Amino acid sequence: MRDDPAVIALVTAARDGDQRAWDEIVERYAPLVWAICRRYQLSRSDTDDVAQTLWLLLVEQLGKLRQPAALPGWIATTTARECLRVIRTASRYDHTELTSDSQLDPDSSPQIEQEVLTAELYAAVRAAFAELPDHCRELLSMLISDPPVSYAEISATLSIKIGGIGPQRARCLDRLRRSSSLSAFIDSERADQ
Amino acid sequence: MWDDEQLLALLKEALQDNQTVPPDFFQTGRNAYAWHGVDDELAQLSYDSERDLDAVAGVRAETAPIRALTFTSAHLTIELEVGDDALLGQLVPTGEGAIDVQTQAGVIATVPVDAVGCFPISPIPPSPFRLRCRSIDGPSVVTGWITL
Repeated sequence: MRDDPAVIALVTAARDGDQRAWDEIVERYAPLVWAICRRYQLSRSDTDDVAQTLWLLLVEQLGKLRQPAALPGWIATTTARECLRVIRTASRYDHTELTSDSQLDPDSSPQIEQEVLTAELYAAVRAAFAELPDHCRELLSMLISDPPVSYAEISATLSIKIGGIGPQRARCLDRLRRSSSLSAFIDSERADQ
Repeated sequence: MWDDEQLLALLKEALQDNQTVPPDFFQTGRNAYAWHGVDDELAQLSYDSERDLDAVAGVRAETAPIRALTFTSAHLTIELEVGDDALLGQLVPTGEGAIDVQTQAGVIATVPVDAVGCFPISPIPPSPFRLRCRSIDGPSVVTGWITL
């Protein structure tokens, strides 16, 4: 996902003053920031501090990112660095020893790369889902709801015959698979291999 | 790449990934955009005693010395020393003016710069904050966001 055109477009628009593009960036990557803070086991208030610093830095750097498509990686690495800084500051006060710093080094963590890939995939799936027509989103939401919803209930709620749910499900999933967000992702994965 | 079952499972994970994040966490991110488009010259952090000494020594000293930060822009260098309950700043080259202390909430204090370019800031502002230097005879310069 080195050159997702959607990410480049969002960065360019946000740099040029489009608040909606910025909101979309936040929408896509706040879960990544959240997940990384969870991995470092930060408290909620430390997590908020890290996020606030991260987004302010990003606003400042919007015009200077050399490779806008590398944004998710930048967000992940910067978040991890901020998490470490918070942990180091705390350990200085309560004198607890950290595990060795190299284990916490964001640049040497293979976890970061995996987290970025997962976050990009999830963001692409959510964007693809948002592009689906209402009836598909309703059906798929019911099919993945937890606890599960019976076909009879789906049939009653959405006014589809029970026998029509299977074919409808297949059509909606196919639309999801062929949506621009996800097909761009699949293509770039193929290109990487 | 994904069959129907896999795609449905992936969709479920992707949507849940989003739902575990509190809504106000997104709002923090959206609010940060208010700082976009400020036209001041940016002074980047060029030296941080904590970061740079750690890198040289490889280990941290038991007792931290006074932390010093330097921000550099094309026209101005801003040096900051972090004391227990105040910051001491120095502009190079020296010049009179005023410093606005900004947090995400806005400007929370304005302090004058004296004739030799010094300015004390007390108490230490809540992080993250940044300083905007309005000099009498030059462009305004703003530091990057500072977290102590």
